[in-house]
Amino acid sequence: MAKQVDAWEPLLAAANAGDARAYAEFLKAVTPVLRGIVRAKGRNLGDAGCEDVLQEVLLALHLRRHTWDSSAPVRPWLYAITRHKIVDAFRARGRKIDLPIDDFVDVLVAETGPDPTEAADMAKMIGMLDRRSAMIVRKIGLEGGSVAETGAALTMSDGAVRVALHRALKTLAILRERHVK
Amino acid sequence: MKTDELIRLLAADTLRQPALQRTLMLALLPALALAVLTLWFGLGFRADLLTALATPVSVARILLAGALGIAATRLALLLARPEGPQTARLWPLGAVAVAALGVLLWAFVTTPSDARQMATVGKTMATCLVTIPLLSILPVAALHYILQRGAVTAPLRAGFVAGLAGSGLAAAIYALHCTEDSPLFYVTWYGLAIMGVALVSAVIGARSLRW
Repeated sequence: MAKQVDAWEPLLAAANAGDARAYAEFLKAVTPVLRGIVRAKGRNLGDAGCEDVLQEVLLALHLRRHTWDSSAPVRPWLYAITRHKIVDAFRARGRKIDLPIDDFVDVLVAETGPDPTEAADMAKMIGMLDRRSAMIVRKIGLEGGSVAETGAALTMSDGAVRVALHRALKTLAILRERHVK
Repeated sequence: MKTDELIRLLAADTLRQPALQRTLMLALLPALALAVLTLWFGLGFRADLLTALATPVSVARILLAGALGIAATRLALLLARPEGPQTARLWPLGAVAVAALGVLLWAFVTTPSDARQMATVGKTMATCLVTIPLLSILPVAALHYILQRGAVTAPLRAGFVAGLAGSGLAAAIYALHCTEDSPLFYVTWYGLAIMGVALVSAVIGARSLRW
């Protein structure tokens, strides 16, 4: 397997400076690796269950991305968050797991994921948001709309859409945790 | 929602979060300033503050407590990062502890044996044990706020270090009032107050810093 040479640092650095395209690229680059880790650790959850956990990891790293120190390598940071969320997710599902970090190095990359399970599906959580937040999340996430389009549709400024989106993602992270537990 | 859709959603959220260092300064410095003001208006600075600041054994209190506070603050900032527990170095805290014990030992040896007990008990033990924890509240709260905004993966440890940091700095501030210059007094009672705060902070951290 070709080592994924770390172009991750510049991508995340640009992302943290506000570059949405670099951020999307970063997320797309790390997702197969994280999926591989979650699957390697959580075989008994099934592929759909693993996809749930993967989404939890992604949401967590998104909301904590400002804790990455741009002078440090991304991997230790990324793996520490992943490990933390996997342990958490397994605990929430009533399973205990021991996860040495070094194990993460050799897992296979898993490119495609199935749909997440019905129980933890984000769509359900989105239904629990307030109406406007849910609309923003659906418009951008499910329909692929841009912030500007969403703002125009809801007669909100771009800034207001961004703030609302950020809050909605925070709420989703909390809702998800509660819901699974 | 498919993972690709989630990624699209996350990438659209470009709201920037301030770096932890910045938040630390914005939260901790006002907390410390308020602690100084509280001490000033509540108990007042010691009358011979300037003389005391020129007396090594007295200044050592401020230096030791301040060094502990700063070393622990830096460590807390590290523990606010998810990979912090792997990269954190404990030797600065150890160095301060060794220095404090060294000063204590020196005082024990140089204080005549019949004066040791009086020097240790002092006259203001109760004030010290109450005031240092009180002055710690705001700095420790500021540090917990930073940790909350971070991504703590060792909540008990992070809480403990935040307690050491806040109460160490609070002890350095309290030393501006306190006139007990014997290390037998200050290493013992400042140390006890600091450890007490750190333990409470650890227990709080273990509960509140999960995510």
